[in-house]
Amino acid sequence: MPESPKACWSCGASRASTGALCPACGKVQPPPPPQDVPDKFAVLGVPRSYELDEGGLEETFRALSRKLHPDRFARATPRERRFSLEQTTLLNDAYRTLRDPVKRAEHLLALLGVKVAGEERGGGAAMPQEFLEQALEDREKLLEAKMEGGPEAVARLAEGVRGKRQEAMEEIARALRQARPTDAQLRRTAELLARLRYYSRYLDEVEGRAAEI
Amino acid sequence: MALFQIAEPGEARTKEACATAAVGIDLGTTNSLVAVVRPDPETGAGKPRALPVDEGSTLLPSVVAYTGDKTPVVGRAARRLAAEAPRDTIVSVKRFMGKTSADPETRRLSPYRFAEGESGTVRFEVRGRAVTPVEVSAEILRALKVRAGEQLGMEVRQAVVTVPAYFDDAQRQATKEAGRLAGIDVLRLLNEPTAAALAYGLDKRSQGTFAVYDLGGGTFDISILKLVEGVFEVKAVGGDSALGGDDFDRALAESLLAGLQAERTPRLVREAIDSAKAAKEALTSRDSVEVSLGGRTRTLTRAQLEEVILPLIERTGPPSRRALKDAGIPGGKGLAGVILVGGSTRVPAVRAYVRELFGLPPLADIDPDEVVALGAAVQADLLTAEKPQHDVLLLDVAPLSLGLETMGGLVEKLIQRNTTIPTSATQEFTTFADAQTGMDIHVLQGERELVQDNRSLARFRLSGIPQLPAGLARVAVTFQVDADGILSVTAREQLTGVSQSITVKPSAGLTDEEIERMLLASIEHAEEDVQARLLIDARVEAQRILKAAEQQIESNGDLLAPEERQAIEAAMQALRDSAAGKDHRAVQDAIERLDHVSAEFAQRVMDRGIERALKGHSVAEFDKGEMSPHAQKAYSALGGDTIKMVSPSGKDD
Repeated sequence: MPESPKACWSCGASRASTGALCPACGKVQPPPPPQDVPDKFAVLGVPRSYELDEGGLEETFRALSRKLHPDRFARATPRERRFSLEQTTLLNDAYRTLRDPVKRAEHLLALLGVKVAGEERGGGAAMPQEFLEQALEDREKLLEAKMEGGPEAVARLAEGVRGKRQEAMEEIARALRQARPTDAQLRRTAELLARLRYYSRYLDEVEGRAAEI
Repeated sequence: MALFQIAEPGEARTKEACATAAVGIDLGTTNSLVAVVRPDPETGAGKPRALPVDEGSTLLPSVVAYTGDKTPVVGRAARRLAAEAPRDTIVSVKRFMGKTSADPETRRLSPYRFAEGESGTVRFEVRGRAVTPVEVSAEILRALKVRAGEQLGMEVRQAVVTVPAYFDDAQRQATKEAGRLAGIDVLRLLNEPTAAALAYGLDKRSQGTFAVYDLGGGTFDISILKLVEGVFEVKAVGGDSALGGDDFDRALAESLLAGLQAERTPRLVREAIDSAKAAKEALTSRDSVEVSLGGRTRTLTRAQLEEVILPLIERTGPPSRRALKDAGIPGGKGLAGVILVGGSTRVPAVRAYVRELFGLPPLADIDPDEVVALGAAVQADLLTAEKPQHDVLLLDVAPLSLGLETMGGLVEKLIQRNTTIPTSATQEFTTFADAQTGMDIHVLQGERELVQDNRSLARFRLSGIPQLPAGLARVAVTFQVDADGILSVTAREQLTGVSQSITVKPSAGLTDEEIERMLLASIEHAEEDVQARLLIDARVEAQRILKAAEQQIESNGDLLAPEERQAIEAAMQALRDSAAGKDHRAVQDAIERLDHVSAEFAQRVMDRGIERALKGHSVAEFDKGEMSPHAQKAYSALGGDTIKMVSPSGKDD
């Protein structure tokens, strides 16, 4: 059944294709047609920007969940139940992305057509050789510290990586706060995001050890 | 004309609206419970309450005894049979849900005889036939359904059934199938800790992040929930699906047996476990207890018990810490409270450990045995009531990561654990050989890297991929998890649009033929279900009629000659007696007899009503409800408004 994204299926009123509920009758609507990069900011109805009030985002998420969650449609028609499931799925995915600064930055880049290394196989730019060498060396040091240095040595290494992560985050925020980041800035941001992934894995490994103790 | 036809306006509709009930069911390892939210007739506010379903207790032991009769025995009566027929009496069936006979745990656990299933499902051999864990669980659910129906005076058709948060997809599917087999429409599978938080959150009107520490007979679950303005958001869950109070009993039994030189017969081991359980329970309120085993009596202190079980209690620490970290509050900083669930949290050493682990004294105001069923009842009310009693919403998570097998026996995770559900994820794969036309999709659940260390949920094959050089075909695999936490998988070749889709039927689950066969077998029970339903209907009708008759005798008794009154009261008593019995036909007969002997009285009452109405009543009298109900009815039927105008202050008696 073709469902026009521009008119409410129930009352026929015109609506925006990203709106989850009909502005006229309040009925839940089918999700927008699939796109290469769906705009997750639009799902939550917040401005497309890196800067964002995380408390406000959470409140918006809760308010939309109250309206769209399948539990609210347990007594509705199968069609509305399906729309509710699809809309809530989109909402949960969008919120998961936007509440995390790293994922939010990645999504902003994706919307601008820039790929981040490691995001999917074959995609994105390759990492510089010197970074990969540094990463290998860091890992060896961590292994050594675990075997011989004990918890203090491991904690010291982790502290160093946390510092690097913090610096990278700040640089990403600076670049994305600009109204029109240059191509060079975007490429640099993509590389920093790839580094962040590496730092996170490294710290997970350290904390994994902490949990074992 | 019959007395009960002179009904209060709206009464018949009330009966219609209440004819079925939606309940919450805690299908537990050791005990099962059923609870329901009923609005208070006076205030309209509704609180959940657990129903007494087994010899006056709200706890129905999860024990099913196959006796050779058509219907198995369930509950305390079944537990009493366990000693004489241990192999035909299934205890703790929940531990077998969704397991295959190949699972090492399966055989370790039990004295049962197993038969091989068509798809590797566990089957118990009882009285010459094979039953699956799903069928056994369905017997427990059916007992709860029927007994709750008797308590409520209406049929139970819908239920929210709770499962441990840590249940995997196979175990959830098995639980849903059990509900279907028992004739229950399972509205939702709800995670047990979430249900508990729901019961607490409503009572306390609280806000903040809570930990739910749920230590039952066989499983440990930890959940971290955030509660803000009536929205419960599950932040993280974790646990150990093979740790519980039963392990305390076994460990203590082991230490009791170690002190004896006797040979370990199965009978002695069983006795040791029973003694250990009794001692553990006694030591929650006392410092020492006498234990007799194998002809020897010794004193066991609480300190000795704690020494034995502490290593087990400490196993709850790592999953708890991991859940706190996943929820973004490492170390539990800023936690508003810790909720205790499950009978094993009565053990003082557990409470002390929880206090230390979270740095907070735990909450245990609601009976830890009932709290899960109460929360499930609230959710059932939320999902079915026109106007639910509480405005809350639950946002739950997928408890375990879901992924696919990729080259080299590795798992590619599509959905990470603790992702809010419903959710979906898509990943693209390509062919690795030239002209490859098919692709095997192997769906896995778990946190480990290697396929072999995770739970295999399903395998299926996408065929019809166009013949292309290796790496050119693109297959998108989409996982969708619904609000029950149940997964469906779609694989779609992007060029041609060839697609293949399944709702994951767990490898450990049942084939369609098996489900079909079980449904057929359940028709054996259908006759009983119909009888039970008819009886409930007849009882409801009887109560309504008796109430109407009492009212009429009270307000119009003066219209009756003494012997007429006697006859009617005798017929009423006969109806009360038959309604207390089990035969719906007897109830129907008694209703007809009462109808017959009261017919003339009903006619006189009606005549009087019309007469009075025509003489006119005051508006004030009407509003104050001073007219008898039948007069009110006659009054309005005859156009009371007009009459009021004629005689605004008239009063005739």
